[in-house]
Amino acid sequence: MSGEFFIFIVLSLIAIGGGIMMINLTKVVHMVVALVFTFISIAGIYVMLSAEFIAVVQILIYSGAITIMMLFGIMLTRHNDQSETSGGGLRKFLIFLAILGFGLVFYLGIYQLELGEPSTSLHENNTEQIGIALYSKYIIPFELTSVILLVALIGAIVLAKRDDEEGEERE
Amino acid sequence: MIEGLLTSEATWLHFFIYFALTLLLLLIVLGFVTYAILAERKVMGFMQLRHGPNQVGGRWGLLQTVADVLKLLIKEDAIPRAADKPLFILAPVIAFTPAFMVLAIIPFTDRFQFADIGVGLLYYIAVSGITTVGIVTAGWASNNKYALMGAMRAAAQMISYEIPLVMSVIGVILLTGSMNLNDIVLAQESGWYILWQPIAFIVFFIAAVAELNRVPFDLAEAESELVAGYFVEYTGFRWAFFMLAEYVYMFAMSALITVVFLGGWLPLPYLGFIPGAVWFALKFMVVIFLLIWFRVTFPRIRADQLMEFGWKVLLPVAIANIFLTALLKEWINLF
Repeated sequence: MSGEFFIFIVLSLIAIGGGIMMINLTKVVHMVVALVFTFISIAGIYVMLSAEFIAVVQILIYSGAITIMMLFGIMLTRHNDQSETSGGGLRKFLIFLAILGFGLVFYLGIYQLELGEPSTSLHENNTEQIGIALYSKYIIPFELTSVILLVALIGAIVLAKRDDEEGEERE
Repeated sequence: MIEGLLTSEATWLHFFIYFALTLLLLLIVLGFVTYAILAERKVMGFMQLRHGPNQVGGRWGLLQTVADVLKLLIKEDAIPRAADKPLFILAPVIAFTPAFMVLAIIPFTDRFQFADIGVGLLYYIAVSGITTVGIVTAGWASNNKYALMGAMRAAAQMISYEIPLVMSVIGVILLTGSMNLNDIVLAQESGWYILWQPIAFIVFFIAAVAELNRVPFDLAEAESELVAGYFVEYTGFRWAFFMLAEYVYMFAMSALITVVFLGGWLPLPYLGFIPGAVWFALKFMVVIFLLIWFRVTFPRIRADQLMEFGWKVLLPVAIANIFLTALLKEWINLF
């Protein structure tokens, strides 16, 4: 067993374990913490694929910023909510069937997947390669994404502002 | 030596060599933390015309911190009944682990570095962000309103000051053409970046003080408003872990500032006969002293001033610096 395989197994176990914990835990804050473990181990898998820039950005954005945002949101709203276990036997059986089908489809899909020759020069100047690709080949999608982000930002401001005015009227 | 180890095959022998080296670094860091706390108290004492610790361990109080840590370790480990127990136990671990992880990428000399990765600078900023999760978790798990407020402030502050921190080093990255810390040090042979990027240095230093949660930006643990902030409910060794994380970050951040702006292990001209490690240590100590000086000199700022300063002053200045640097680089390329 090579060290690479061992690390892959450990990382994927943490990732899957975090995901399962996230679904099964009852308190919302616990779920977010479980999610952090999943995010970090996925970043570890990115490192193994010699995508160091993506890995670091994954930690920076997902484990750092987005998790904090979620915790913030949870703490500022009704945070004592606990998810309730629901459903009877039939429902559970149907869910089990659905999961089985999902797993089967993905197994068939991924098993036959042929990715072609893996690229060998990705780890050299990883960031530079991403930058060159982003600003020469994919410049239009990149700019469009920024427009979408801007729209989302303005939307958030508009939503928050309307709330504020209503509050003033009530006073 | 470490270079050779990194490319060698993975065997148990190498594992143990690595383990021993890491343990050595941990001991160095712990030694640093012990004496950084003492130095901080002493310097603060002198600046406030007091003596500082002078009883335990001779005239300079050399064993004061050791005694304090011993006291912390034998204290009763109390967990509040209303606390969220698993998170309460997990939080110090989440807060401390990244503090030690960031040390892996810092090149102390041209030989002594644990991981030479291409995105070193970004790695530091990304991994140090995980500590915020630990802090928020601690504040939440304590089930105490002061702790929660401290955690909220820490989160808000760290998110808003991370942005000027990243933006200010973009100038350095532009001039170097790499995010690798070794490349950044080697690019400073013609002049330290504190000379080429003075604006970036000032913005980075202020944002770094805020990231370290130190006075004047210590709103997360403002003792006059929040008792102790996010770790009110912690005692004994769990509390010690938070303090340790804080001082290890001080170590890491000072080392990073030394590497990025003060030329790392590079000597001053004509003084190349002094080894690189000594140069690194000297510059490092200057940064540490500057941090302590800041703490004694400035009053704590208000929460709204903090946010306004971060978003309305530091961020525009950092972006203007990127623009200036890009112009400068193009201008240099013209000739």
